[in-house]
Amino acid sequence: MGNRRITRRQFIQRSGAAALGASFAGTLLAGCGGGSEGGSGQVAYWSNLEGSGPQDYFGKNIETPFEKSNKGTQLKVTFQPPDEMDRLLRTALQGGEGPDIVMTPGPAYAQEYIDANLFAELDDYAGQYGWDDKLLGWALDLGRVGGSLSAIPYQLQTMLLYYNKSLFGEMGMKPPKNRDELEAMAEELSGQGITPFAAGIGDDPASIEWYPTVFWNHYSGPDALYQALTGETKFADPIFVEAIELFKTYVDNGWFGGSQERFFSNGFDTLHADFGEGKAAMNVEGSWFMASAVDFFGQAAGNENDWDWTPLPPLREGVPPELYELGIGSTLSVNQSAQNPEGAAAFVDYLVADKARVTEWMAAVPSAFNAPLPFQEGDFPSSMDPRVERQLVSLSQATSEGNFGYTNWSFFPAKSTVYIQEEMQKVLTSDITAAEYCSGLDEVFKEDRKEGLVPKIIKPGSA
Amino acid sequence: MEANHTAAVPKRAPGSLRRRRRMLAWVFMLPLLVVNVLVILGPSVATIYYSFTDWSGLGPAEFVGLENYREILSDGDFYLAMWHNILWTLIFLTVPISMGLLGAFLLSQINRFQIFFRIVYFIPYVVASVVNAALWQNILDPDRGIGSTLASIGIPFLDGVSFFGSERLALPAVAFVNNWAWWGFVVLLFLTALQSVDAQLYDAAKVDGAGRWQQFINVTIPGIRPTLVFVVLLTIINSLLVFDYVYIITRGGPAGASEVVGTLMYKEAFERFEAGYAAAMGLGLSFVSGLIVLVFIFLRRRGWEI
Repeated sequence: MGNRRITRRQFIQRSGAAALGASFAGTLLAGCGGGSEGGSGQVAYWSNLEGSGPQDYFGKNIETPFEKSNKGTQLKVTFQPPDEMDRLLRTALQGGEGPDIVMTPGPAYAQEYIDANLFAELDDYAGQYGWDDKLLGWALDLGRVGGSLSAIPYQLQTMLLYYNKSLFGEMGMKPPKNRDELEAMAEELSGQGITPFAAGIGDDPASIEWYPTVFWNHYSGPDALYQALTGETKFADPIFVEAIELFKTYVDNGWFGGSQERFFSNGFDTLHADFGEGKAAMNVEGSWFMASAVDFFGQAAGNENDWDWTPLPPLREGVPPELYELGIGSTLSVNQSAQNPEGAAAFVDYLVADKARVTEWMAAVPSAFNAPLPFQEGDFPSSMDPRVERQLVSLSQATSEGNFGYTNWSFFPAKSTVYIQEEMQKVLTSDITAAEYCSGLDEVFKEDRKEGLVPKIIKPGSA
Repeated sequence: MEANHTAAVPKRAPGSLRRRRRMLAWVFMLPLLVVNVLVILGPSVATIYYSFTDWSGLGPAEFVGLENYREILSDGDFYLAMWHNILWTLIFLTVPISMGLLGAFLLSQINRFQIFFRIVYFIPYVVASVVNAALWQNILDPDRGIGSTLASIGIPFLDGVSFFGSERLALPAVAFVNNWAWWGFVVLLFLTALQSVDAQLYDAAKVDGAGRWQQFINVTIPGIRPTLVFVVLLTIINSLLVFDYVYIITRGGPAGASEVVGTLMYKEAFERFEAGYAAAMGLGLSFVSGLIVLVFIFLRRRGWEI
């Protein structure tokens, strides 16, 4: 193995970022557009907001007021598809382009950019804007690598158990508090022709990772995950294998999506419609679902049903009863080659640090602007859905008390994450066993650890 | 006048004109050449380099020699994906080509509404693959698609069948969708070729007592052989490079049941961040495509009428 290094100038700038072959050339070159145009005062920001509603809201309520309150700084916003964001960023940054404010899909991704020295250090700005006093401590810890702050966790999320409140009312059911109750309910619902959990990965096969996340956190527990993520124990240990076996059993029972094949093919619209119509009783999904629940429940969806959420119950003795997996939808950083780093940092501060502003935005566009701030009851405007407020306060309080778990997409490196997504399907189709799956993950994770790709793992309060 | 004019032109003029014309041709070709060098040759050279490196797509690349190629040779996922490409090729060498020949032959027999049918057959080809895919995902939805509609009128054999969720059906189902968009184009190619076959050959065959099938085998097929070979070559290369429909509909799932090299390569590059390994994979695929083209050229030079 040699160690000859090449530079960006030698290969990448000249040939564009289409280095993976002519078949990808068009797509990759497209990613080079939209970068910072430099010029004094301009700050380029790529946002992952989807839909004309949230994008218009951003323009009117965030972009314009920011420019007004920061004379001389012009914000140049480009909305990128969330699924494509990292690929476009990777290409642009490698080519010396890209936005001034860099949004990555999570800490594990940010780590790679930090290692490649593509992000500016934010410590001075943290002092200038008082982020240590405003933001949650664990969030800043997570963005610090080698003692320097380089990324701010943003768009906080967690996994929840949603239930069709109207259906539960009709059937005299209450949200399950433990595994026995959950399984008894699933049996009863199945017997009555109702799918216990609306589920499917047809639109986004990677979303299968929600389930290992849920079963490892609520069966194996956050302490076991912390130990494995920090290399103290192995993912091949029985406690992780058993969690995956339990999930497979539930899928084999037809509890998730109706059948294994439907679990593979159901798209989000189908599964959410089933949930709203009462064909399915519950839905294991992230807090982001609250933003679209209105499309599937009530008059707008052509039914009279209502929804609510509850924390996912512990699936084994000893796991905390109210546990929230910590998910970080994105991180915010300042491009090392930003033309206007002060303006970029000012916008990061504007976006995350002012509770009054942020809560307004969070009420208007649920889950899009969840900043790492210590929220309490009464912090939010009256226009906010009380279910959303309850979730935000619960997550904020739980994480500040150390009562949190780990989502795969936030705390596992990219290769381990892809392994979790890809190979999980093979467990469900019985191509591999749960033990083989976990052993395989252990090997991939060890490689990731050896390469220093594991992001900082914050310790849960119970560990 | 003419003689005087001729006499006035220097003897070297025709050669000079030819040179100027050649120069002009090069001038016209130059922009295209520059574009090709920039978007094909440059990235291709870079791809060759990166295939010998361990590169994540970010930062510097570490030279690893033939390591990526060695890894490919022991990569079960790559072999499975390549096998799916071969199956895909076999499907597309048979189904759309047979349908295309039949469609073109039937269309050649009618005059009225021929243009209408040509347009109808061709429309799916010009519709964006993402639209075609969404259309068929809805049509083949196990709960809300054609299966449940047929079941509601007493034909239940497709009810609840999850075409894209079944390991057994996913690959052929995606191929079916892609074929739906592709075969109309093949019809038009064959129809154009059929129209250039000399009608007198059919008359002569009839006089010799040839039936429809014998006319098809002995007149039509030889008459459209260059187009047929072109379509076969196009099909093989397209099948090796297939990506869009698989990525849009199943992303290679479930559990790799519809994974092809194109989607695997994408995942390696942009999900696992093994850009060097993906480059080696892409180069391997290009090598196979190039080999097939070379075989065709070789056979043609050996006198095969293809």
